[in-house]
Amino acid sequence: MVNRVELRNISKSFGGISALKNVTFKVMPGEIHALVGENGAGKSTLMKILSGAYTKDNGQIFIDDTEVNIKNTHDSKKLGIGIIYQEFSLVPELSVAENVFLNQLGRTGFWMKQGKLQKEAEILINSIGFSINPSSKAGDLSIAQQQIVEISKALSEHVRILILDEPSAVLGPQEIQKLFDTLDRLKKEGVAIIYISHHLSEIFQIADRVTVLKDGTSSESLHVSETDRDSIIRLMLGRSLEAMYPVRNSIIGEEVLRVVDIYQADKVRGVSFGLKAGEIVGIAGLVGSGRTETARAVFAADKREKGKIYLSGKELQIRSPREAVSKGIGMVPEDRKQHGVILSLSIKINISLTDFRGVSYHFGFIKAKKESNNAIELIRKLAIKTENENQEVGYLSGGNQQKVSLAKWLNRNCKVLIIDEPTRGVDVGAKVEIYNLINELSDKGVAIIVISSETAELMGTCDRILVMRKGQIQGELAKNEFSEEDILRMSIGAN
Amino acid sequence: MDTKIRLRRYLQFVIKYNTVFIFLVMLVVSAIVSDVFFTTNNLFNLVRQVTPVGIISMGMLLVILTGGIDLSVGSIVAMVGVLCALFTQSMPLPLVIITSLVCGLMVGSVSGYLVSIHKLAPFIATLAIMSIVRGLGFIISKGAPVLVNENASALTDFGSGNSLGIPNPALILFLVFVITAVLLKYNIFGRIIIAIGSNEEAVRLSGIKVSAYKFSVYAIAGGLSAVAGIITTARTAVGSPVMGVGMELDVIAAVVIGGARLSGGKGTAINTLLGVMILGMIGNIMNLINIPAYSQQVIKGLIIIFAVLLQRFQANSN
Repeated sequence: MVNRVELRNISKSFGGISALKNVTFKVMPGEIHALVGENGAGKSTLMKILSGAYTKDNGQIFIDDTEVNIKNTHDSKKLGIGIIYQEFSLVPELSVAENVFLNQLGRTGFWMKQGKLQKEAEILINSIGFSINPSSKAGDLSIAQQQIVEISKALSEHVRILILDEPSAVLGPQEIQKLFDTLDRLKKEGVAIIYISHHLSEIFQIADRVTVLKDGTSSESLHVSETDRDSIIRLMLGRSLEAMYPVRNSIIGEEVLRVVDIYQADKVRGVSFGLKAGEIVGIAGLVGSGRTETARAVFAADKREKGKIYLSGKELQIRSPREAVSKGIGMVPEDRKQHGVILSLSIKINISLTDFRGVSYHFGFIKAKKESNNAIELIRKLAIKTENENQEVGYLSGGNQQKVSLAKWLNRNCKVLIIDEPTRGVDVGAKVEIYNLINELSDKGVAIIVISSETAELMGTCDRILVMRKGQIQGELAKNEFSEEDILRMSIGAN
Repeated sequence: MDTKIRLRRYLQFVIKYNTVFIFLVMLVVSAIVSDVFFTTNNLFNLVRQVTPVGIISMGMLLVILTGGIDLSVGSIVAMVGVLCALFTQSMPLPLVIITSLVCGLMVGSVSGYLVSIHKLAPFIATLAIMSIVRGLGFIISKGAPVLVNENASALTDFGSGNSLGIPNPALILFLVFVITAVLLKYNIFGRIIIAIGSNEEAVRLSGIKVSAYKFSVYAIAGGLSAVAGIITTARTAVGSPVMGVGMELDVIAAVVIGGARLSGGKGTAINTLLGVMILGMIGNIMNLINIPAYSQQVIKGLIIIFAVLLQRFQANSN
């Protein structure tokens, strides 16, 4: 059989820094080929070359053994290449149906046939196992639903090569399973699928072969059935990963936070829990179970309707994040680019946003030296890879951006820190560093809430896990009761 | 090949400092086409002409940095100008100035309140305020210009006089500029304004009271419009309800020529000042070489497009 796609000796550099060096990569029709590597290893760059978003400096691309010249995204579309990017490309003001058929809106003639469009979109979305109202606005959907629309959009055209860049990052376990079913079907239809992911477990579940990118060079392609997790991690990191999760030496103190029966706009319906100093409590649950909304209600980012929150035994009357912060509560939000950091500003400025009084004199004049030193110290402590503290956060890799999002709260000495998806879209190396950091904070007595879609992450880092479902706490597991199965059962309501 | 690369570097340099570049080109062109341009008299005239727009542009810059816009500034100039002239008939001068300033601050505060607390779109909120305040200006003045009382000659003397050899209004513009520049570069206030325009939600979730900052930039813009109104009245000895019609557009144009981004988060005081000067020079030089007013507007528009296109190249080359 001939290769559907063959990339031969591809090189690409950006202003002197080489992102890809002689990368060779082949995918057969009817194959799911995983592409893994740390952030910044060049995965996205390689795929953008295939999709025409970037042009290669050197090398050749073959589709079905014929050399092709992909100059722009239009060329790649004509070749039957579909791509689902890590960053969504939906138009928030348009309906789901219009988004799905965005690049074919003209095909039904000059006037749009809304009814037909919606019908077709619905059929398409149902065919991959989901149901989303095709007339709702894309901007009103949850991130997971947006991802599903994004997938439908790619499938709305006849694709022969499908590229998925971290598709599962925002999906819950059930949704991921449906995505896998869809990919399996496409594979049987002979589509060549390139699957980029940080989650090694997914790769073993779904991929046929795997290729590792490290520092812009490609490894041999390995058959998944003939390799194991450790070998892949070794190829990714260049070293063996002893343990992903740090050893917990929990010294749990007095209760710091108590949340009693809080409600928020139908998303949170009577949630109560307590949190002790030095304790790490995980909140598990499917996307849409109300995890994030619970966190936002505690942080007063959204207004809660009912319920009480006590901090160290005293009732808290907070109505805004500002008041929450002043009482010693911090939150690292789920969506780092929209809410966590300001991409166009420097690391230094991002860090001092949470504590600008600490770096200024009276009347707000900035203590430049102190601010810089403060930032430099945190950059060193968190091993943020950057030239200096004045680097714009937008230029950093995902993992380093996440570290900045965390660093913001380290200069506040929070009593309670809520971390929503601590390692989404973060490579293995940075993950370990983030886990260590969380662990270190709890050792200092900070009470921490970790929300995550990755069950393994919660089990590895937490002392206790609360499982949420439909806005309520479905169950609670102590450390010795942790099991992936129980958490999943509780989150889908099957107990 | 070598020359090509060098040419490219020059071009990138020009694009990066496009505001400075346009400013210098304007200076050279002005000096060539008119031999009176570089006379003290003309330069003073130029500075006096741009002062009101210049002072307000610093307030507008703050508003635009947060991602907002303020259309009411021209109306505030007129209303405060009229009020200031009226007040001179019954109040001592210091009180006249303070009361006039407070009026401007109050109008700006209403816009700020609507935008920050009620989350009205800044364009709509200030469009409404623009209409209301323009109307109030006419009501207060009964539609006719109000003369400054003779007792307040100190005001008119100040408006038309010089200190240290420089027109007084220009000194005030310079002062406002310096304060704005310092605030933006060395103060938390400016820092947070820029951060809000870059990503408002991230700022809010960092525990900062975004509404207070948004409120204050509109209040400041209102206050600075009042300063411009007082200066205009002082210079002409008349408060007229038709002052500052369309001025908001000149102010916004100056800020944009200065490279500020209308969606917020990007812009500097020095470039805004250059933008003001560029806009002023266009008018000044065309007057000197007797280009009719109608053509002036066309040319002004073309230069704005040119300036913004240059900034586009800058964004793309990044």
